[in-house]
Amino acid sequence: MRLLEFQAKRLLAEKGISVPKGVLITSPEDLQRVSFPTVLKAQVPVGGRGKAGVIKRLEQAEEASSVVYEMLASTVKGHPVEALMAEEPVEVCTQLYVAYLIDKQVNMPLLMVSSAGGIDIEEVAKRTPERIIKKYIDPAVGVQDYAIRSLAKALEIKDVRAFADLILKICAIFQEKDATLIEINPLALPPNGQVALDAKILLDDKAAYRHQELFDDLEAEQKQLERRTKSRAEELSEKGQINYVPLGGDIGMIADGAGTGMITLDMIHDAGGKPANFCEMGGMANAENMQRTMEVVLSNDHVKVLIISLIGGLTRMDEMAEGIVQYLKDNDQSVPIVIRMCGTKSEAGIPMLRESGVDAYEDLATIVQIAVEKAKEL
Amino acid sequence: MAILIDENTRVLVQGATGSVGSFQTQIMQEYGTKIVAGVTPGKGGRKLHGILIYDLVEEAVQGQQVDAVISFVPARFAKDAAIEVIGSGIRLLVLTAEGIPEQDVLIVLRYAAIKGATVLGPDTPGVISPGKCKLGVHPHTMFMGGPVGIVSKSGSLSYEVGRVLTKNGVGQSTVVGIGGGPIWGLSQEAVLEMFEKDPETEVIVLLGEVGGRQEHDAARFISQYMNKPVIALIVGRTAPEGAQMGHAGAIIEGEEGTAASKIAALEKAGAMIAKSSLDIPELIKKIGA
Repeated sequence: MRLLEFQAKRLLAEKGISVPKGVLITSPEDLQRVSFPTVLKAQVPVGGRGKAGVIKRLEQAEEASSVVYEMLASTVKGHPVEALMAEEPVEVCTQLYVAYLIDKQVNMPLLMVSSAGGIDIEEVAKRTPERIIKKYIDPAVGVQDYAIRSLAKALEIKDVRAFADLILKICAIFQEKDATLIEINPLALPPNGQVALDAKILLDDKAAYRHQELFDDLEAEQKQLERRTKSRAEELSEKGQINYVPLGGDIGMIADGAGTGMITLDMIHDAGGKPANFCEMGGMANAENMQRTMEVVLSNDHVKVLIISLIGGLTRMDEMAEGIVQYLKDNDQSVPIVIRMCGTKSEAGIPMLRESGVDAYEDLATIVQIAVEKAKEL
Repeated sequence: MAILIDENTRVLVQGATGSVGSFQTQIMQEYGTKIVAGVTPGKGGRKLHGILIYDLVEEAVQGQQVDAVISFVPARFAKDAAIEVIGSGIRLLVLTAEGIPEQDVLIVLRYAAIKGATVLGPDTPGVISPGKCKLGVHPHTMFMGGPVGIVSKSGSLSYEVGRVLTKNGVGQSTVVGIGGGPIWGLSQEAVLEMFEKDPETEVIVLLGEVGGRQEHDAARFISQYMNKPVIALIVGRTAPEGAQMGHAGAIIEGEEGTAASKIAALEKAGAMIAKSSLDIPELIKKIGA
């Protein structure tokens, strides 16, 4: 889960890391609680906000309303701006970059710092990678004092104790909340102490069960701010926890594995068809999952043909067939369905399908070809 | 020979009495895998398909050799169970669980590195050396023995390719599923190195997908160290940036994660590129293996 900036800063502040005083703004009325000058920042889950022009400093109240209107009506990289933070400006001398994350190349947590913090950090990483200083933290021993002193020295930090305190707090949040990334950029070193001016935090969804209340609260908060109307398919898939990615075409797709799902899409594409979605049920799918998944994918009105691409490993084809047959009993068959079925218990599944008048093929290329042709005819 | 497992591998099943563990244990046993023990806390002393169940791994390894473990322990308990296996000195652990918290995986992999154990997964279908041993959940009728080594992130894609090869009379030495990520124990690169050294393997099929940068590391390894021919199939060419395509690791974040960049890197490294599973038997014929 990617936290919005104000959520990330709240987690930092709870641990005692300084952040600027701020007010969340969802309409111009909220400006009453803001003192000027202030910095308005769009709360969208993407980077590059400064360059996109959705971080603005306002000197006085007069112009504020229209700026807030305008910002709340804007979109950044496909994300409509739903809320703003109005923050007290902080006087900055030095801007640092500080991040703690899991480096998936070497399977270790990594502390990364730079004295070239700010909006150009990605350029810095590309052009002058030596300005980004890295320290791997062995999970067998955790973060030690010398590692922090080494980074402080490289950054020429004077108040080493305050810096160490900050780093230890970041590492503690990382561990306690099952984060996969905590990034403070920039970390301002103004005359009176360190302040996190911007923060990005990713939490590990796979560990949500260890922090259920926190995850539920953060998610509810994000949902409340969401204005974009979701398609029925997206809503159903969220509710049913089904991995569904809309793709805009007219051939619906359901697979029982991620890899076969992706190759099916690639083959549809190569045959000149346009996939409507990606949808994978996962290895533990049963008949009921199949029914619910069909409901999700077929709730998209643009779907002209549905491909079901099954290669049973953990999934049992008799159960998949049962789900398909049940769905067809309960619903009017609105579009042609083309099925590929092989693998575990397919010798039982295929006859079940045939009995209810649905044909199943063994070959992936065959069903792709049939589906693409049918989609073109309709 | 083959890699990782063969007809002599002695296997312990962790989480053997659950519904999946029990069903898969029976299938592996029928396939010929030498299963010598099962472990489920609290179920010690029972028998399952003629296999003795123990409460603890340390009890199961007493007085008998255990070479490998396949774990069907659910994600929430997987860290403890994995550390128990590694701590007992067993050298190969197959972690099938999907959704293990990332920090748990890091600790497991670090401990494995310290103890010299190999971890396959997590979120892996396992590994099969057709006709010899199966340590996984593969639909094994799709595979047969032969000279082609397969390494795949996706389980289902390795079944698909295995099926096409077998139908065309081309057998496989070992089929390795490294898992859906986003953190991997054994990497594509490490498996390529094993296949390069394995005298039974003549051609390698690398099955990759969008997300992460393992395929780039694999490409570097191929160009620098490999003499055997490699055929690569990278799926997810139509995947949009930022969308999760089933696997936790199959998400494009940045240029290196795209299928196009991986295909370009592998092609440059000298791998032959397949557009779909159907191209692979043709390419193998061309090589003359």
